[in-house]
Amino acid sequence: MGENLVSFLEKTPDVSHWLVLSSLLFSIGLYGLLTRRNAVGILMSVELLLNSGALNFILFNRFISPGNIDGQVMSIFVIAIAAAEVVVGMAIFVALFQQRKTVDVTQMNMMKG
Amino acid sequence: MIENIVHTTLFYLFAAFAVLCALAMVSTHRILRAALYLMGVLGASAAFYVLLGAEFLAGVQILVYVGGIVILLVFAVMLTSSNNLIEEKPSLLRKLVALILSASFFGISSGIFLGATFNVSSRLSGASSEKIQDTTAAIGRALLDQGEKGYVLPFEIISLLLLSALIGGIVIARKTQPEGGK
Repeated sequence: MGENLVSFLEKTPDVSHWLVLSSLLFSIGLYGLLTRRNAVGILMSVELLLNSGALNFILFNRFISPGNIDGQVMSIFVIAIAAAEVVVGMAIFVALFQQRKTVDVTQMNMMKG
Repeated sequence: MIENIVHTTLFYLFAAFAVLCALAMVSTHRILRAALYLMGVLGASAAFYVLLGAEFLAGVQILVYVGGIVILLVFAVMLTSSNNLIEEKPSLLRKLVALILSASFFGISSGIFLGATFNVSSRLSGASSEKIQDTTAAIGRALLDQGEKGYVLPFEIISLLLLSALIGGIVIARKTQPEGGK
């Protein structure tokens, strides 16, 4: 039993372990994206999706070409764009709240014809 | 060998922590707690980056995500007073559709990952001399390199994007003048 555990732990996680982890995080974010009704909650789920995307860039960088840093540079861009997205999203929600007193996405049907 | 054991143990510990935090985040009905759980997921992601040898990215993750984006989200929750309102439970149909969609995404994609063979670099095992030791310096050089493999143009475009997001955020969220006022 103990030896089994040691031999299991001696193998460091390879690329498929990391990929399964990041796709698990992505699917949880997808679930949150589809069930939340509060716009800020949806924004949080989007952050989870972006984060698992950045994790994918770094893990492929690490396993496919450890001699380069292109994947890490891409992750920096992903993080920067996520920051910009949150700023604009929050500004829109605050402006929307001043007008409609709610951020429930099911109530936002102003543009319905 | 002891390094491998520590590496693997840390991987599974942080993976379990991240997945539990993510599940708690999507299932809680209090939006402020969801922000706290999101902080946990993002912190665990910083640990993943360290395990993958991207120390600079881990620092950026902590500074930008945990220190910036989550704080901004908490501000958004406060300013829209969503913390007072306990979110209505989503309907069963909505939950079921979301569960089927996300579970099938996970099933299909992990099935593909586990069946595929990746072109994993052979330099990974053993000789670590080929691996870049100082990733921070290499990232800094790549970001400002004007040569063929440099990223100076995307770097400048990202700077412009951040500036325009800053100005756009101020303009959109500015208190609107009441109509007919002076």
